[in-house]
Parts: sequence; structure tokens; C-alpha cells
Amino acid sequence: MNIKSLKIKELPILLILLLLSLIITIANPTFLTVENFLDILKSNLVLAMMALGMLMVLLTGGIDVSVASIIAAVTVITGQSLIHFSSNIFVTILVACLSGTLMGLVNGLLIAKLKIPPIVATLGTMSVILGLVLYLTNGAWITGIPDSFIEFGRITLFSFELVDGRTIGFPVQVLFLIPVIFLTWFILKKTVIGRGIYAIGGNLESAERMGFKADRILIFVYSFEGFLIGLAAVVHTSIMRQVDPNAFLGFEMQVIAAVVLGGASVLGGFGSVLGTVIGVSLFCVINNGLILMHIPVFWQKIVVGLIIIGSISIDMIQKQRVEKNKIRVDVE
Amino acid sequence: MGRTLVEIEKISKIFPGVKALQNVGFNINTGEIHALIGENGAGKSTLIKILSGVYQPEAGGKITMNGKVLEELTPLESLRNGIVVIYQDFSLFPNLSVMENIALGHSVEKNDTLVSWKAMEAIAADALDQLGLILDFHVPLGELSVAKQQLVAIARALANNAKLLILDEPTSSLSKGEVKKLFEIMLSLKKRGIALLFISHKLDELFAVSDRFTVLRDGQYIGTYSEDELDDDQLISLMVGRKIEYTIYPKNKKEEPLLEIQNFSKKGNFQDINFTLHKGEILGLTGLVGAGRTEVAQAIFGLNPVDEGTMLLDGAPLVINTPDEAVKAGIAYVPENRLQEGLVLRKSIEDNISLSVLDSISANNGLVDLTLKRSLTEKWMDQLGIRPNNPQMLASKLSGGNQQRVVISKWLATEPRVLIVDEPTNGIDIGAKSEIHQLLRELAASGLGILVISSELPEILAIADRVAVMRHGRIITQMFCEGLNQEDIMSKAL
Amino acid sequence: MKSGVKKLIVSKEGILFCIFLFVFFLMSLLSPGRFLSWYNLQSMAYQLPEFGILALSMMIVIVTGGINLSLTYTATLSMIVGGMVMANISAAGGNGILAVLAGIVIMIGMASLCGVFNGFVVAYIGVTPMLATLGAMTLFEGISLNITKGGAISGFPFEFLMIGSGTVLGIPIPMILFILIIVGTWLFLERSKMGMSIYMIGCNPKVALYSGVRVKRIIFQTYLIASVLAAIAGVLMASRYNSAKESYGSSYLLQAVAASVLGGTNISGGEGKIAGTVIAVMILQVISSGLNIFGLNRYLTNVVMGGILIVVLTINFLTEKRSK
Repeated sequence: MNIKSLKIKELPILLILLLLSLIITIANPTFLTVENFLDILKSNLVLAMMALGMLMVLLTGGIDVSVASIIAAVTVITGQSLIHFSSNIFVTILVACLSGTLMGLVNGLLIAKLKIPPIVATLGTMSVILGLVLYLTNGAWITGIPDSFIEFGRITLFSFELVDGRTIGFPVQVLFLIPVIFLTWFILKKTVIGRGIYAIGGNLESAERMGFKADRILIFVYSFEGFLIGLAAVVHTSIMRQVDPNAFLGFEMQVIAAVVLGGASVLGGFGSVLGTVIGVSLFCVINNGLILMHIPVFWQKIVVGLIIIGSISIDMIQKQRVEKNKIRVDVE
Repeated sequence: MGRTLVEIEKISKIFPGVKALQNVGFNINTGEIHALIGENGAGKSTLIKILSGVYQPEAGGKITMNGKVLEELTPLESLRNGIVVIYQDFSLFPNLSVMENIALGHSVEKNDTLVSWKAMEAIAADALDQLGLILDFHVPLGELSVAKQQLVAIARALANNAKLLILDEPTSSLSKGEVKKLFEIMLSLKKRGIALLFISHKLDELFAVSDRFTVLRDGQYIGTYSEDELDDDQLISLMVGRKIEYTIYPKNKKEEPLLEIQNFSKKGNFQDINFTLHKGEILGLTGLVGAGRTEVAQAIFGLNPVDEGTMLLDGAPLVINTPDEAVKAGIAYVPENRLQEGLVLRKSIEDNISLSVLDSISANNGLVDLTLKRSLTEKWMDQLGIRPNNPQMLASKLSGGNQQRVVISKWLATEPRVLIVDEPTNGIDIGAKSEIHQLLRELAASGLGILVISSELPEILAIADRVAVMRHGRIITQMFCEGLNQEDIMSKAL
Repeated sequence: MKSGVKKLIVSKEGILFCIFLFVFFLMSLLSPGRFLSWYNLQSMAYQLPEFGILALSMMIVIVTGGINLSLTYTATLSMIVGGMVMANISAAGGNGILAVLAGIVIMIGMASLCGVFNGFVVAYIGVTPMLATLGAMTLFEGISLNITKGGAISGFPFEFLMIGSGTVLGIPIPMILFILIIVGTWLFLERSKMGMSIYMIGCNPKVALYSGVRVKRIIFQTYLIASVLAAIAGVLMASRYNSAKESYGSSYLLQAVAASVLGGTNISGGEGKIAGTVIAVMILQVISSGLNIFGLNRYLTNVVMGGILIVVLTINFLTEKRSK
């Protein structure tokens, strides 16, 4: 890869991330400890995985507000499957991914085949799925997840001992995130369908003229997103060791916000895996920083809202300035 | 001249109520630049769409390429056979790199699962090499100029092994230098044996590069001629079946200044623009596309505020920063692009005409007087003869000429002092053109000052009293139109 | 005259109204004793207005070509701020009516601020409405939470509760308000010059600008007006719950979009009738009340709502395809 293309685009947000980290570290040095880093990582694995799925959706020019209801549904299914069917980790992953993919597929079909605008289609499926989840569970927590699965969730990698004698390490769930990042990057960067995702987001008509099958790509994107949500549900369940059907209320906004922070455009065509990873990190660091600086947790939303609006506003103002000063005639 | 590449035989296309093409047949050779000409509505774009597989021709028609009959052509099939259209909008991807824009089609075509960036780079490099272009591969296409984007589109065609390259109005938004560069490239492609089908309205350009001309008129094939058989006038008379003879209106010298433009300048748009529009006068503003005509018009109308300069209306200084201020001051602007800037296509004639006068047809409480709205609409529809006579008709369903009348009505309803019309007869059939001309002349006679921007010199000569010629953002000359001919103007504009 | 009636029936709104009648009679037939009971009709009359007003607020924004995801949080933020003032005045022993008036004025003022914020970001800065209001939604929720610390504001004067539960001549006050707002938004959107500009902007903002319409200002004002409507819905909700909390009415966000779309509003702007939205609101309300009476779990009602949205859009798609 050529250095120049090494994402000048992602540089500003990376700088913001570094600057913010610096400020937080000055306010509270705890921020820059391995322990805190691992904490941040563990509590945001689900967000990161779902953000990558959302990235693909935004790239096509779509949006998906049903993601929170889908993961709620999949965690419930996963929980039930673990308790009543099999506690085997592979079976669990299979069940979760299959159910996630199926729900994503429904979104994909509604959007690609019935041409329902994504925001409306996913609002509809969100209502249906969430309604079913709450009806079937009555909002009650699912406990009694088998011990073997809980033990699995507690595994740490590269463990080491801290000065105070406690042992910490990378949570095993990282093993899910890393392949997901790689896989998403691989699909977007290295496969024809991935470039097709960018192409239909950039210019739908031309992409079809070039031979891309837009409806197949859309169906793939929403299904893949469902698949990632399935994996995220397994990760979530293994970390929380129980299932709360209400745990994800409003989570879709956080996912979208993180992806947008990472520079993806809701109009489609622009955005990258690297940007999204940085965006998610920024999101997490803000949350973590607010806690470390003892700022009430409610401020988190204010800060996130302001950052979303602020960053896009700056972008728009710059674009307008460029447009205004554009040379339209070479005056002699 | 090369051998026959494409044989087009007995191609017809019938749309409900219209025979868009009737028994059209001609050959295109390898290594030639073949001009396809005809007026708007002659069937050129229908033919392109059939060649590119967007439309299916009626039974009985046949397209043969290299001896192979192309049946049931789809856009993809057409592309695979090497027929590539460079559309006016280029059909490129602003968010992808130059390299991908050129080479991505390859992977799609081969039905690959994975993309090879190395292979793409090689393909793109090769295509750009063939065109003798040096561009940064990794720049997103959206950051390039229009001319460069077009060259990328051509490079993509080469990468797709284009055998027949169809260029649809390729010069419409290029500067003179860029056109020259494009022609060089077209000639070099021709040398490589590629067939080029070149569609343009600009006769000088057609003659500069074309080997043969195929003329269509009203969906009929008129003939194919080699370049030395024809001159401008003959070509025009073939296109229209008669020489373009607009009614030439008598030229008047008006003395009473209405709108005075003094030292208008805007960086990257125009420089030192000075002219005076008089009451009752039609002033033509011409020049090549890209000379800055529209930019000046939009500056007067408040869409493109100037860096410096003053404007006087009836001798009083006037500062305009937004269109609504212009409208209030009595300035109206009929934009060039009727479909995207002039009309709300999804709404009715009535809604469109009343849009600019909502204030004056509303009561103090902000509610629109629907009776007034209707009577105002009917008045203008009647005066301008808009057909069908149904105020509720959607704008999208009208013919080009009637659409233009609706846009003009919208402005006349504001009772303007100054009317600016940008390419008033663009895409309108010849009968409707003369009616628009007559209308503009009548409006001028009623005391309006009219600024007509047009690339069509016969139109300027027919209706304008005076003409201002722009070149590279400046007004080169202003002339009284009496006794002027096209060459007099063209020599200044070029 | 006869053809006029026929035209009315085959219009989109006519078909919707027939669907409404059908649903209404179906519910009445299935459960005559309870659906048509005075109690049920009255409870529908109390619930319908807040949802209806929010739907109309959403709809006028959609017609401009936008969307307002911060709709319900605008309502709750304003009810929280206004509610706090009202509760404080009341707690300090102030006059109840005065407290209510002050509270409502502040609620509407707060919502106006929200509207100004959204309108400025969308119209003048040019941020995509979906993102701008997504950000605003998070922001307003955050501010609300900061004020309430996650709890609810309560202790409103008795007079305030009258707004949500009182009647005039036997008609619930919320219903009267709703009818006034229907007439008001109809006059505004379908009869005023600003409304006509809104439709044109929703179809093609460029043409509107080129016709001398002050596009930015009108979009700005539309968000402002929509926010004031949200505040009125907020007043009704706060009065009905006798408290103010950031999460009240959050399920109305989806339903407001759904009602607009069901009512024939084009999600990409430029088309939509007040009557359509109002009838769609009534249909959804009858269905949810009816299902509630049949003892259907309230969560399943959501399922039915989402299902209706998808089914209607699918039918739209199929009929459009056939007519082509």
C-alpha cells in the first residue's frame, strides 16, 4: 500500500483521539494503564463488531436502526439455546450467527427487493423484532447460563501478573473481534463485492451499468451485518453471563454514532474499516474519559451528540467553502 | 479507412405514440470517427440506447458486430462486445480512486471473487499510457476536474477493450484547450483502429475530426456522407430538411438604460464585466460554453454574488445577494437546465407558475388565495398558449416547449423589469422555438429588458438587438446586430 | 357532485378512511361490548392526541425532505425543563394557574430552542437531517438525563393535570387541542404560502431557490414549528403521566414516521396530506386499542404495528409495479 493513500482522511480523527487521550491522561493518569485499556476493550467489543456491520450498510447509502433489536433477539435465542439445547461453544456460535443472518436477510430483502427505503424498512423490522422479544421474554432476564460457557467467557489470553498480585490479560472475546475486523476489511478491500459496496454507494446507476447486481449486494450487506450481530451476541452473552432483553434499548444510535464519528457518510460511498475502528475507539475513550474524570455518566450523551453534529458541521462548512471558491471559468 | 465493424440494419423503435426510429441502417468502420447528427428528437439518443442494450429494437432490426449478430443485447452484453458509451455524466464513481474507476469493471466482468489491486494498477496504467495521460492513480475521482474525469471515462473504455466508443456530447463542459486535448486523444484512438461514434451539436467540432457523417431526422435515416462531400450549410439543411431560417426581427436602438452592470468581477468566474441593458431591448450574451455567461447571469440574479462591481437599476444602485432580493427588485432568471433548475416536475403547472408569486397571491394572514392562484395560472397559460389547457397537469408530462412556457410564465407573473433567459430554446422542437422567439420579442416590445444567453448564433441574430460576446470570463466585444452574420460573432468568441 | 364523491373515495385519503372504517367496525364486531364502551372510546380520545400531534410534527418535517429523529426527546426535554419550573413554583406555594402558565411557556420556549438548533444545523449548515437530528436526539437525551439524573420530575400543580384529563362540554381537552392543531397544520401546510413552498422545497430545493423562495429560512422555520408541536404533545404526556421523564413517548418516534408514511407522505419529501396522516394515526390507534382489549400483549401490538408498516409498503410497491 502506498503511504500517501494511507488515509490522510483518517488523520484528523486520529489526532482528535490522541489529543483527547492526552487530556484524559493529564486529568487522570489511570487512563494510561494496561488495566484500563483492557477494560475499555472488553466493554466495547460488541459496539465495535456491530459498527463494522453498520459501516457496510452506510457505505451502500443505507441505514439500519434495527440492529439493537436484532442483537436483543439473538442474545435471547443464544441464551435459550445454551440452556436448553447445547452449551457447546461452536453450536452456540452457529445458532447465533444463523439467527442474526436470517434477521439481516429479511432487512436486505425488504430493501433490495421491495425497494422500501432503509430507514422505514428497518424501523418496521425493529418494531416487529423488539416486540416479539419482549413478548416472549416478558422483559425478564435469562439466567442459568451453563458453567462451561461462563468459564469460556472468563478465559484470558497473554495473562500477566500486576504489581498488586492480580492477574489480567486479554479477554478471550478479542478472538472474535480481530477476525471480524480482518474479515470486514478483507471483504471491503479485496473482494469484488466489497468494491461493489463502495460503487453502489458512490453511483448506483453506474454500478449497475458496470454489471454489479445492486440487489444482491444489498442483501449480502444486511445479511453480513446480521451475521456480525450474531457473533456480537455470543460475545455479549459470554461477558455478561446472563441475558437482559432490554440491555440494548437505544443502542442503535450509539452504533451509528460511532461509525459516523469514524468518518463514514450516511449518504453512502465514503468510510473505511480503519476509520470505523478509530471512530469506535474515540467513542469508547470519550465514555471512559468521562468516567475517569468523574463527570456524571449523563454527560456522555451530550458530548457524543455535540461531537457528531460538530464534526459533520465542520465538514460541511469546509465543503461549502471549497464549492464557493471553485474556479468555474479560467479567466484570462 | 478500416473495415466494417458494426452493421446497423433496419433498426426501428416505437414508443407509445411515437416512432422514435424507423428502419435506420448504416455501417461504422474500424478506425473512423463517425459523426451521428440530428436535431433534438431526431432519434440519436434512442439509437445509442439500442446500441448499448438499454432499449430493445423492434423485431426485424439487426445489429452485427465483426460478423456476429448481436441478439437481445443487454447493457452488460453490449459492454462485453466492446460497445462503450461515454455519457454526459460519465457514469463514474466520485468516491473511488482513478485506478478503480478505470479498472474495476474488469473484475466484475470476469466474475472474480477477489480483486487484484496489482492487476488493476497495471490495467489503469496501461489505459492511461495509451491516452498519454499522467494522473495520480490513488486520488478519488471526485477531486478531479470535469475534463480529467472525462478522460478517465475514456481510459475506462479502453481498459474495457472498447471497439466502438460512443461519445455523447463530450465537449459540452470542456474549455477550448481541453477540447483540443480530447480531439488529439480521439484521433490517436482512431489510429489504433477503434471506431468512434461522435455526437455533438457543434458543427465546427464535428468537421474538425469526423470522417463520415450519418444524419438522422425525425427518427429516419437520411444518409451517410464522407467529410469532403459536405459543408456546414448542407449538413444543416440535411438535419432540418430545410435551412434554419428563424424569423429575423427588426433591430432597434434603445436609449433608456434599465440595468447597468459596472465592473463585475468574481475570482474564478469572470472579470471586468460592463454592459447596459436598455428598456425594450433584447441583449444577446454569447460565447462558447464555459466562457462565463451563466456565471454572470447568476451573479445578477443573486445566485453567485460578485467580489466587486456595481449594478444600477433605473439609475439607482442595487445590491443583490440572494435570488429573493433579485425577484423583489424585478429581475427574473430562466435557467438553462429546465428540468433540474426551472421546474418542479412532480408538481402541477399551477403550483409551478405560482411558486414565484406566493407573496402576492396570499392574504396578510399568510394563506394563499386559491381563486387568485387559479385565475393567475389560467391567465398566463392562456397568454402563452400552454397546452394541454389543464392547470393541474404535472409539469413532467408537458413537452419541452410547453415546459419552457411554464417557466417563463412563472417569471412573467412576477411582473419583472429585467428578464434573463439562459439558453431559452434548449431541447425544444423547431416550431416551438420560433414561438418562444416571438414571445420574447413581444415581451421586449412591452418594455422589458431581456438578456438572452445562447450558444446558438442564428438565434441571437434572429431576436437580439445587440450582442455581447464573452471569452474566458471577459466581454470581448459588444455589437449592434443589424447586418451582422454568424462569422462576425464566432470569430470573436473563438 | 357525484363524480366529486367518487373522486374523494378513490383518493389516497378516501381509501385510508375506508380502511379506518373497516378496522373500526371489525374491532366493534369482534368485541362490541368493550371496544365501543364509553370507557374505551374515551381512553382512545385521551391517547390519540399526543401521538397525533407528534405524527403531524414529524410529517411536516418529512415533507421538506427531512426527518426529525430528535422529535420525542424535544418533547421530553421541554417537558422536563418546564415541569421543573412548574413544580418549583408549586412547591414554593405559588399560584397553581400561574405555575401552569409559566411551565407551558417554558416548555414551548425550550422546544423552540431545540427547533432553532435543529433548524440551524440542517438549513444553514447543511448537515443531512438524519444525522443532525440523530446528534440532537443524543444531545437532548443527555441534557434531560443531566437534569433528572435518570429519575422523573413530578409534583405538578393540580391545575396542570386538568389539561390531560379535563373535558369541555364532555369533550376531552387533549382532543380539542388535537382538532385545533389539525386545522392549524392543515392551514399551514396545505393552504399557506409557506406550506406551498415547503412542498416545492421537498420536491426540488434548487428550483425553489431559483424561484426566489427563501429555502433556508423556510426549512429553519419548519423545524421550529415542528418542535413547538412536539412541546404541545409533551404537555399532554406530562399531564397524563403527572410527571416528566426523558423516555416518555420514545416509542412514538417510530410510530410517527410510520403514520406519516402510511398516510401517504413520501419519505423523500414533497408529498403528503394532513388528512392522510390523521387517518393513519386513527387507524393505528384503533388497532392498538383493539388489540389491547383482546388482551393481546402490548409488546405484540408493536409487532403488529411494524408488520402493518411493512405490509402497506409492500402493497405500495406491488401496485406501483403493476401500474408501470
